[in-house]
Amino acid sequence: MTTKTLDTVAASPGRRRFKGRLGAGTTLAMLAVMVLLPLVLPSATLATEILIFAMAALACNLLLGFTGLLSFGQAIFFGAGAYISALAMIHLNAGLIGALLIAVVSGCVLALGVGMLCIRRKGIYFVMLTLALTQMAYFLAYTLSDWTGGDNGLLDVPRPPLAVGETTLISFASPLAFYALVASLFALIYVVARRITDSPFGSTLLAIRENEQRASALGYDTRLFKIMVFVLSGGITALAGALYGMLLNFVPLSNIELLMSEQILIMTIIGGTGSLFGSLLGAGAIVLLGDLLSSIWPRWMLLLGVALIAVVIFMRGGLWGGLSSLLERRRGSHTKPHKEAGHD
Amino acid sequence: MTDVLLETRDLALAYGAFRAVDGVSLRIARGSIHTVIGPNGAGKTSLFHCLTGERRPTAGRILLDGREITREPPHGRVGLGMSRSFQVTSLFQELSVHENLRLAAQGIDGWRALNFWQRLNKRREHLARADEILERIGLAERAGVAAGELSHGQQRILEVGMAICPRPKLLLLDEPTSGMGIDDIPSMTSLIGELGEDHSILLIEHNMSIVMSISDTITVMNRGQVLVEGDPETVRSDARVRDAYLGEAA
Ligand SMILES: Nc1ncnc2c1ncn2[C@@H]1O[C@H](COP(=O)(O)OP(=O)(O)OP(=O)(O)O)[C@@H](O)[C@H]1O
Ligand SMILES: [Mg+2]
Repeated sequence: MTTKTLDTVAASPGRRRFKGRLGAGTTLAMLAVMVLLPLVLPSATLATEILIFAMAALACNLLLGFTGLLSFGQAIFFGAGAYISALAMIHLNAGLIGALLIAVVSGCVLALGVGMLCIRRKGIYFVMLTLALTQMAYFLAYTLSDWTGGDNGLLDVPRPPLAVGETTLISFASPLAFYALVASLFALIYVVARRITDSPFGSTLLAIRENEQRASALGYDTRLFKIMVFVLSGGITALAGALYGMLLNFVPLSNIELLMSEQILIMTIIGGTGSLFGSLLGAGAIVLLGDLLSSIWPRWMLLLGVALIAVVIFMRGGLWGGLSSLLERRRGSHTKPHKEAGHD
Repeated sequence: MTDVLLETRDLALAYGAFRAVDGVSLRIARGSIHTVIGPNGAGKTSLFHCLTGERRPTAGRILLDGREITREPPHGRVGLGMSRSFQVTSLFQELSVHENLRLAAQGIDGWRALNFWQRLNKRREHLARADEILERIGLAERAGVAAGELSHGQQRILEVGMAICPRPKLLLLDEPTSGMGIDDIPSMTSLIGELGEDHSILLIEHNMSIVMSISDTITVMNRGQVLVEGDPETVRSDARVRDAYLGEAA
């Protein structure tokens, strides 16, 4: 799956300068959004939810937008991150950092396994394998109800403070404090992911997305690259899952459902594949839409379908594509319209 | 004895029961332009797939500089000094011309290309190599354009340009002029001629005027086997070669 949204012409000097400005611009915009979100939204909890899903969408984007891998497996890592961190806190008395680290490591390890298995096949068969594994993960979580709570979900998930030994440094009991924690983690991941996508590794991912056969003929062990990006994506997604459990104080079974994979994919696509900032936009749009509409109209997911169709047909670059082409037009750029959507 | 760069011994590739390559033994001399010709379906591209690792031969061996590479995967052969172009243009369509070449140069980094923390402009040698090849293939003007927006002729030139980025010992070119308009062919011919001065080249080509003018050695394939091998004069005057091509035309 390729999209028209990536920066195709980064090499021309003028474009590079623009891209640099746009890149620094999006990091600033991202930080501004972090600060403004809890102020403009009705609750810090809603803002936190947006950032958690933005994290998951960003991780999904590394696979879909940057490597061209359409995976329905993200719920495995999201759910596993939530369950495993919660169980570590409940049964092993893990603290905040311990629980988050366990989530990340288990996400990476699971993604290593899932990645190694799925990338043996390409195209539609790859997609089917990720679907099948998500179903398996769901039934596993359902069956292990002694551990996961099955249908009822895993209850009483704590939200531990940042502590050294017995001394609490920062408590995250208040929604705003927890928001600050999630926002800091998101900002960190965003900056690191930006750095990664601009590295030799990141540039090779784009090459694989564009033409895997050629990438391989040029000397790249493409399977290794795909496994590595799976591990990266799995780790970040599991972290998002763990934070979601802490936010809700609860891990619903739906965290590990196929529907979760779909939601994350939809956020990624609506936000704009190949744009990290787009993932934030996509997650924001979907979470807000859900929050607004679910109370007044239970069938709001229908609208999501309409929005997705609109983006796929009319706005291939997603929200980010639309926004950046607007920005670029206002700067009076002379490049052709369909290339304006650069990855940030 | 001449200095052999690439050698195949009784190489065979079967698709099911069909033997597309059927016992081919080649010796490609270092520094030469060695061309493989033959009617459609002769097995030229299939032979190429074996040499580049795209397909694993069903029998036989491949030696590069005396080293066995028969089972080496495609990406492993680049580091050993082999690089190829494709018969059907195979570029990174949405990336700029410059980025296509930079990626081609970066490929020799092997697993070091997994570096996820370095900035691209820190790898100056790859940027410089891309600039150098851009000049050489005459696409400097179009550096910032997406590869997919080049004309077909320019895409074919870029296709070859990417293959030379890793400074290969052996350059494998599969029908570089395929689908090119009559106006573009001379520039490709002169490019290959120039490349022949500092590369060993294995070329597949249909265009006889190119083949006869630039080849040092020609191997004629038919039905998966080597029919005739020799310098252009020998091949031109060989009755079996004419028969094979006439047989195709009939
Ligand atoms: N993947 C495949 N499966 C089965 N048969 C194949 C496959 N690829 C090629 N063949 C057959 O093998 C034979 C040799 O094909 P090949 O592509 O090597 O010929 P070629 O000499 O390159 O021809 P051309 O000049 O048309 O490019 C042909 O008869 C072709 O139909
Ligand atoms: Mg062929």
